[in-house]
Amino acid sequence: MSTYKRIALVIGSGGIKCAAAVGMWHVLQEEGIEIDSVVGCSGGSLYGTLIANHVDVSVMREQSAALWTSDIMQGYTTNLKATKDGKLRFTERSGLVNDSVLNATLKGIFRDLSFDELDMPLKIVATEMMTGEKTILSKGSLFDAIRASIAIPIIFPPWEVDGRLLIDGAASDPLPIDVAIQDGADIIIAMGFPLSYRERFRSMTAVQEQLNSIYMNNILTSTYAFYNLAHHAEIFPIIPEFDAPISMFDVDKIPDVIERGKQATRAQLPHIKRMLTSF
Amino acid sequence: MKKDKPRIALVIGSGSVKCAAALGLMKVLERENIDVDMVVGCSGGAIYAALIALGWPVQKATDATLRMWTREVTAKRNIRAFLQLLLPQIFKFDESFGLINDRVINRRLREGFDGATFAQARIPLFVTATDLYNGEQVVMSEGSVAEAVRASISIPYIFPPHKLDGKFLVDGYLNDPLPIGVAIKEGADIIIAMGFESPYKERITSLMRYNFQISSITSNNLFKTNYAFHNLAHHFEIIPILPEFEQRISLFDTDKLPYVIKEGERVAEQQLPYIKGLLTG
Repeated sequence: MSTYKRIALVIGSGGIKCAAAVGMWHVLQEEGIEIDSVVGCSGGSLYGTLIANHVDVSVMREQSAALWTSDIMQGYTTNLKATKDGKLRFTERSGLVNDSVLNATLKGIFRDLSFDELDMPLKIVATEMMTGEKTILSKGSLFDAIRASIAIPIIFPPWEVDGRLLIDGAASDPLPIDVAIQDGADIIIAMGFPLSYRERFRSMTAVQEQLNSIYMNNILTSTYAFYNLAHHAEIFPIIPEFDAPISMFDVDKIPDVIERGKQATRAQLPHIKRMLTSF
Repeated sequence: MKKDKPRIALVIGSGSVKCAAALGLMKVLERENIDVDMVVGCSGGAIYAALIALGWPVQKATDATLRMWTREVTAKRNIRAFLQLLLPQIFKFDESFGLINDRVINRRLREGFDGATFAQARIPLFVTATDLYNGEQVVMSEGSVAEAVRASISIPYIFPPHKLDGKFLVDGYLNDPLPIGVAIKEGADIIIAMGFESPYKERITSLMRYNFQISSITSNNLFKTNYAFHNLAHHFEIIPILPEFEQRISLFDTDKLPYVIKEGERVAEQQLPYIKGLLTG
């Protein structure tokens, strides 16, 4: 007798590296593995939404390239200087970037799409700025949810959704496997990205980035260890490996990132398939 | 066959002055003749872990804290750091960055711990820090206690990282604010873990405050997930002691030490029946 297994896809935070999810999606489709729900965090929420909306892989590639342009960093240098000089007062709603380009880019891709119009259930994770709590978004505007989930602290201004000021989901749960567990998934395919470390510190920003990477990676390791222990055999980690650090706007590396996503997924395929046929 | 006596570990997490609550917890354990077999400390908790492991009575430990931890430790600005911020290329910004000149804190710790070494501790002591270059936990259990504590309390941006054995060490809380894992690895059977969540700001009015808010968010989430993991992996033997402070305790509120110690005693009394149950069960 065979029982139906609910499969969830979890895509963690990782900026442009999250494009590896396009490669993962490609392989899963090739193999005819059907997904029942998707969870995304930070950069992973972008690709989670595209997958849940059944966007064609070739379109995903194009949209990836359109998203990660350095234009979205508008105002960063000027604002950074103004903050140092004391000309710009920083509040809980501030960010170093003027987010109008980012917002317009996201609107161009996701338009007025809402969660209930998607082909499969999607959940997006963000973090509440004033309490540090993880927030799960699953209703209303996808633009709002994605914008909140990718609000990298200090860089992008937080985003208000339903009266709550939200920032990057990575600050509370960079690979939110627990959301899939709570939703009753039987098999969880989780793609995560550890942040790379620096070898040199030539500015305060470099120190901030390093401290962030240390935190996020430690949260990633411990949440993963926890969920794995709580729910072991059914979680398949897909951690693409990259030869060199990939920075935020390495758009020309997207094809390689997607390829790495394919490779990492193929490496796990035998295990996933065995799990699917073992009941 | 007679069962071996369970090995008890005391783990004190990061939490600046609030960590003095560990002295209150120790009072209760001593009264009940509950022997501790190892002490693990992180950041502010490292100071009290060291004082407890050295076997200093509560009064002596309190006095030592009052001498070591005063506003003066952060009073002397690091002039070079400000120049590094303004002109990073000319003043060679590097990993030794810290806004505060650490000479005072280094001297205070040396004097406060009076040249004590790990070997002199009556109870085995472990102090944790984080490697700035790879985020890994570094556990110190040899050499000078003052040096290890200094590394463990390297609050990012405030104190420069501490260079020890060729490594640049920053505050232990960046890796694990409540390092229960060290006690597990060292073979503890019962772990009494005192932890503290970082407070949140109600309003953010500067980039520095924003940085601290993000620090609190990430470290509290790290605290929760690590605790959840260790609890699941090793569950019934971990006894959480989580003091709740009605008064806000800031970085230099050493005048509130008696209140903090009292609160440590109160929560310890609450968990005492459970600890005793484990020891006799």
